[in-house]
Amino acid sequence: MSVQRIHAIFEKDLKDLPRNIALLMLPVSNILLALIYSLTVDGEPPIAFLYLIAGATFSMVTSGIMMSMIAEENEKNTMRGLIQSPASLLDIIIGKSLVTGIITAISLMVSLMIVGIEPLMNFRAIIGLILMFLFFLLVGIGIGLFSKSLAATSGYLMPVMFLFGFTPMIATFQLAEDSIIIRTTNTFPIMQAIELYDNNFWMPLGILTAWIIGAALFTFICFRKVMTDD
Amino acid sequence: MSHFTIDEKIIGSESLPLFTLTINDSQATSIYSDGDLQAELVNTLRRNTNIPIFDLQEGLYMRLSVEDNIAFFLKWFNCKMPLPKILVEFELHTCAKKALDKCSESEIRRVYFAKYFISGYKKMVFQEPIHGVDVITVNNFINMLQKIKDLQIPVLILVSSMEHAVLLGDRVYKLKQDGLQEVEADEGEVEDTSIQSELESPRGPVAANLFKIPARVGDKMILFDPTEIDYIESQDGKTMIMINEESYAMEDTLAEANKKLEVFGFYRCHRSYIVNLQKVREIITWSKNSYSLRISNKVQSTIPLSRSKIQDIQEKLNLK
Repeated sequence: MSVQRIHAIFEKDLKDLPRNIALLMLPVSNILLALIYSLTVDGEPPIAFLYLIAGATFSMVTSGIMMSMIAEENEKNTMRGLIQSPASLLDIIIGKSLVTGIITAISLMVSLMIVGIEPLMNFRAIIGLILMFLFFLLVGIGIGLFSKSLAATSGYLMPVMFLFGFTPMIATFQLAEDSIIIRTTNTFPIMQAIELYDNNFWMPLGILTAWIIGAALFTFICFRKVMTDD
Repeated sequence: MSHFTIDEKIIGSESLPLFTLTINDSQATSIYSDGDLQAELVNTLRRNTNIPIFDLQEGLYMRLSVEDNIAFFLKWFNCKMPLPKILVEFELHTCAKKALDKCSESEIRRVYFAKYFISGYKKMVFQEPIHGVDVITVNNFINMLQKIKDLQIPVLILVSSMEHAVLLGDRVYKLKQDGLQEVEADEGEVEDTSIQSELESPRGPVAANLFKIPARVGDKMILFDPTEIDYIESQDGKTMIMINEESYAMEDTLAEANKKLEVFGFYRCHRSYIVNLQKVREIITWSKNSYSLRISNKVQSTIPLSRSKIQDIQEKLNLK
């Protein structure tokens, strides 16, 4: 691992992002979603809605941008000649994660500020948000590594968005409280982050960590596969 | 002095002829071959060695400017050269702020050159580096080769045009199905020998380059180098040029062809055959005192040798 190379990638991708209109649409549409809500609904938004915004940001911006950036390097074959060891692939991933982190933070702050950020300005909520960010980042890296083209990532992004990004929406489908779907989706990262915010601390923290470990495992397998393919 | 070697162990494939070639850092080496053999050689090198092959196939960051691309490569490869110096050396300073997808093909090619130069590998193989680019870029590549040589990096260039091979290589080789041959490329030497040979014998390399043998295929006229020809055969009264078991009809009679080609080392070895003596691999002696010549081409053709000519041919080949 080399700080020099991480910095090189970070700088390059930071310059590249404003020129990439397709990727910029992700945070923009996310902010639009918050804007439309704040214009149509008066008063305090429910907590579940704040988490829905956060989930949309993490799935679209964090996972979406991360997987697109990696997949674009795959598709255009720009990594060949740059990567000579697993360490240099790791440098690329870390550099890109930093860029993704910055753009996620900006887009999350802006969209939450539009709908009212106050309820989330406490230790528990911030821990939950950070853990969610890690989960979505790892998912994005993993998918980016195995998809060969940009077009494929938009396909992969859909299920990630609907299952993990918009989980609170499933509660509005009027399903029975104890149905298998509700019970399953209640263990998903966003629902656990809400749980972490609302009630107890340790149990949801454990489940969130388990999700992150799962995502990390998935990413590691994809990483190994990419390295052995070459 | 650094060098690298391509040998039988590395090649080890059926579709490539076996050869040993050492590339040293004082002379750029170029190999001229057709596209298929070149692709096979590149694949083999990729599979069996870790020598980097610069084939211009990987992508660059097209949305970023020339300057941003180079700045990234400098940082990534930890190269200490200043950015403006690289831009000027590769003649990219005029388009430094232009995004790559707005640049011309030649400008993009020079960005590739800069990237390869910056990458700092200790061995380099270029595949078709100056195919389809302008004169500035060709000159730029030649300048870069000089810099690479100054850094004592051995470099091999694979091209499918003889012109490029001679232009870029200090040592030039021709890779064909039947092996690797060195081509005389040193301009100074060629001049010397041509003057000498004009005095001594008309078999000078300059004349050899200019003289072509015409043959008809359909309504097209094809020109062959005398050195390409394996042998010439008379079939049913027609004179056929034979190259790797393919035949091309020729207008001259065998006697006329013999007259023209004698100076190129051709020899009438049989009533209906003229052979290129350079290509004779073996003189086969059959029982009953008859002879054949084996030709070193892909199909290893054998052609008859008249009994009366055996003395003569042995003299010509300095066998006696």
